Amino acid sequence: MFSYPTVRASFLFLAIAVAGLLVADITITTANPWRDLGQFFLGVVTPNFFSTEGLLTALLRTVAFGFVGVTLGSFFGFLLALLYRFMPVRIFCAFIRAIHELFWALIFLQFFGFHPLTGVLAIAIPYAGIFAKVYSEILDESDPEPAQLLPKGTHAIAAFLYARIPDCWVQLRTYTAYRLECGLRSSAILGFVGLPTLGFYLESSFSQGMYSDAGAMLILFYVLIATMPLWVRPKVLPVYILAAPFFLGEGFPIVWGNVERFFTEDIVPAPLRNGEGLAAFSSWLGDVMVSEALPGIWNTVVLTQIALVATGILSLLAFPLISKHFGGPVRRTSGHVFLVIARSTPEYILAYILLQLWGPSMLPAVVALALHNGGIIGHLIGRQTNTIHLRPDAPQGFARYSWELVPRVYRSFLAFLFYRWEIIMRETAILGILGIYTLGFYVDSAIQNIQFDRAMILILITALLNIGVDILGRYIRRKLALQTMPTC
Amino acid sequence: MSGFSFDQLKASFGDKRVIGPLSLKVNDGEHVALVGKSGAGKSTLIKLLYERLTRDASLVPQGLGLVNALPVFHNVFMGQLDQHPLWYNTLTLLRPFRKDRAVISDLLNQLGIAEKQWSPTASLSGGQRQRVAIARALYRHAPILLADEPISALDGPMAHLVMNALTERFHTSVIALHDVDMALAYCNRIVGIQDGQVALDQPASKLNASDIMTLY
Amino acid sequence: MITKQIRKWLVSGFLILLASSTVSAQTFVFTAIPDEDETKLVERFRGIADYLSEQLEVDVRYIPVKSYAAAISAFRNNQVQLAWFGGLSGVQARALVPGSEALAQGVEDQAFYNYFIAHKSTGLERGDELPEGVRGKTFTFGSKGSTSGRLIPEYHIRQRFGEAPESVFSRVGYSGNHTRTLRLVESGTYEVGALNYKVWEKELEDGNINTDDVRIIWKTPGFPNYQWTIRGDVDARFGEGFTDRVRQALLDLDDPALLESFPREGFIPASNDDYEPIRSVAKDIGIID
Repeated sequence: MFSYPTVRASFLFLAIAVAGLLVADITITTANPWRDLGQFFLGVVTPNFFSTEGLLTALLRTVAFGFVGVTLGSFFGFLLALLYRFMPVRIFCAFIRAIHELFWALIFLQFFGFHPLTGVLAIAIPYAGIFAKVYSEILDESDPEPAQLLPKGTHAIAAFLYARIPDCWVQLRTYTAYRLECGLRSSAILGFVGLPTLGFYLESSFSQGMYSDAGAMLILFYVLIATMPLWVRPKVLPVYILAAPFFLGEGFPIVWGNVERFFTEDIVPAPLRNGEGLAAFSSWLGDVMVSEALPGIWNTVVLTQIALVATGILSLLAFPLISKHFGGPVRRTSGHVFLVIARSTPEYILAYILLQLWGPSMLPAVVALALHNGGIIGHLIGRQTNTIHLRPDAPQGFARYSWELVPRVYRSFLAFLFYRWEIIMRETAILGILGIYTLGFYVDSAIQNIQFDRAMILILITALLNIGVDILGRYIRRKLALQTMPTC
Repeated sequence: MSGFSFDQLKASFGDKRVIGPLSLKVNDGEHVALVGKSGAGKSTLIKLLYERLTRDASLVPQGLGLVNALPVFHNVFMGQLDQHPLWYNTLTLLRPFRKDRAVISDLLNQLGIAEKQWSPTASLSGGQRQRVAIARALYRHAPILLADEPISALDGPMAHLVMNALTERFHTSVIALHDVDMALAYCNRIVGIQDGQVALDQPASKLNASDIMTLY
Repeated sequence: MITKQIRKWLVSGFLILLASSTVSAQTFVFTAIPDEDETKLVERFRGIADYLSEQLEVDVRYIPVKSYAAAISAFRNNQVQLAWFGGLSGVQARALVPGSEALAQGVEDQAFYNYFIAHKSTGLERGDELPEGVRGKTFTFGSKGSTSGRLIPEYHIRQRFGEAPESVFSRVGYSGNHTRTLRLVESGTYEVGALNYKVWEKELEDGNINTDDVRIIWKTPGFPNYQWTIRGDVDARFGEGFTDRVRQALLDLDDPALLESFPREGFIPASNDDYEPIRSVAKDIGIID
């Protein structure tokens, strides 16, 4: 077994995660965690849909921000994809997507304030970076032969429209639709920092223990996501896209002086702003590094590694739930429902809920990340096993699982897992805002103390860390010869 | 004038020499059949010729190079993308012009797939797809035809019809063919390729099928 | 199909620009730090908005925010012109907006105080100073930017133990607001916490505290706290004497239901200098540069 590089890599990551568990803080601190959890589930099954007058508006705003943000993101992402072979464009895209939507929102809030542009850009910018990467991967995979056959002298754009786009159109569309779903999740979460989307009300009712109200919001959100194939139709899509900007709410006018001030004063490190010279700057930077960045990086990395392995374990446990090789239609349907709920709930909301119920430690974050990401990977792997035809006399039960299925899907499982590594780290950092001591905690603290210079340095460090993990993940996938799929 | 002459035609795959170095001179009005075992280097030679002739050649590659997601009409129309301005091509993508529809419809009619004009190419059978690629080459109407096994998926009468159309429409052509009888029937010069070299080069009138079989 | 797509994108981009420029410039907007449950805040400040609107004869609007920093930023960015700040957030905001001034404070805000509270399982009793027994317990502040939830408790912890809270306690958290601090200590999630005495007393009066589970262990000395702060440029925008009219309206506020919602007996004039003690404490702790 250990002669397989994939197995060795798996055990290496497992060992790192176990070591991480030894140093990580994973206690449940609430006196009555199960009672609270019980109350929460009671709230979910007794939803109160008429609590907040703003609930429907919030739902509408969630959809509107999602649509406008993703539309702009896909448009600019597409343009960037065309230039993706240039190194500066690649670096630019890697950078903008390494910063989480919530961080972007926190940045824009400082100078656009509660203007719709804050929410729209917070989604559009990182999404443009992601779209650029994935669109360019899809375009690169299109069959090059038709383009080579075009008569010389064909306009480059005509060549592109005829020989490249139609070939990838379905994939581009599928991926964009998938991102639209992600966009709705991102949009909902933006409410947690004050934008008028679902998260705003969810946070309020949750923190006040109004679980029935919170349950109603969650249910509406699941219904919204689950019914997307029904209401997001190619025919009506233009209508949505045209209408969405009108439903963003009015917000407040932008004061452009604030934008200038933010970039020319606020984010300039304090010692430089006050003209205290480079020596003061370097001691300031040293202080930020030692007291905030390093602890933040350490906790972020530890939590990421534990969550990554937990995600892996959960996906391996979860995929049989929807696999046709186990159980009948009833069990598969309930498996689907479970996985849909797990993956449609944004990690941030899951972590928020669990933090309220179990108290602050890394445990709620690990469970939230594992549930969400494990739900996604479990779903993809389960679907993949449904294309496998086993011989009629294949073993049953656990032997079927461990001898027939896992070995066949293990490589794509690892590919998905390493693909999501960067995503997990980005989320881990952001969960700090909820009070876990990852980088997001220090970013949030700096912003709460109106020290945007510190916040920007920490956000840059977070971005670099993400880029580093992205590169490492890609290196490992290449080393293990795992095929990469941009669909997850 | 559509004749051409190239020296030093060669290609390697890794360390392995696939073709050449060889020289090939084709005169205006010649229809050259490339024959030989599969793997002898015919396809590579066609590709090399296309790289050098570019603007002057219509190509029917073995892989056909069709855009599966587009309808047959657009795949054929792609043969003349260089003839129109960008706006014209873009509009055609959305809604083809009547005069182009007429021309292409005639062509498809001639090849027996008129009813498939608006079907997505992905939905066609192998033989139909091959005819789409041929229609595209005919529509392109370059002075020289380069074709790599253009009738491999066509049955008897259809194969004759296609070979007829190709040799009639193009004044000069180089066609890789595995069907020796078709080569003798429609081409006036036979070039046999063996291990990347020219092993036979004779007017078709001086050869019969058994002469060629020695290459296989 | 592709040009259609592009056309859609262009049009929607244009509409966003259009939508960006549609808010009435003459609305007087205010906010408040989110120090308590949001439902309560919205109820309270909508009442204030109606009252001010009547008194000042301009449109007055309240916007809820999710953090103390967001309240300060909105004030700084002139998206709100008036704010109900805590001691610390007021100091921070006025430092960032030259010309802004503290207008009025609650009667009780001249000498505000805090309670340190503990879960029954700690066995801690009320004392004249912060009991030594809190060492090694878990502890929660309120919001990171709060005066009575963070600044003053941290100041006293440092005074008492000569160490940072992180080394005094086994775990330090930030609950988010006073109500939540109360709930978290009541449920035992944290063993010890510190909160604003007003929140404690109001919740107690409303019968929302199980005093078997949580009790007060220390009451801090007084400090200046909440105040209404207004931007210096409102006179230019809403007319000469507007600042004075806002101050007068606040001082004249005598609707018992509204006052009860704060809860304050009434409002009295305040000045920037009243908050000097807060500024120097914040500087000592390093919250402001």
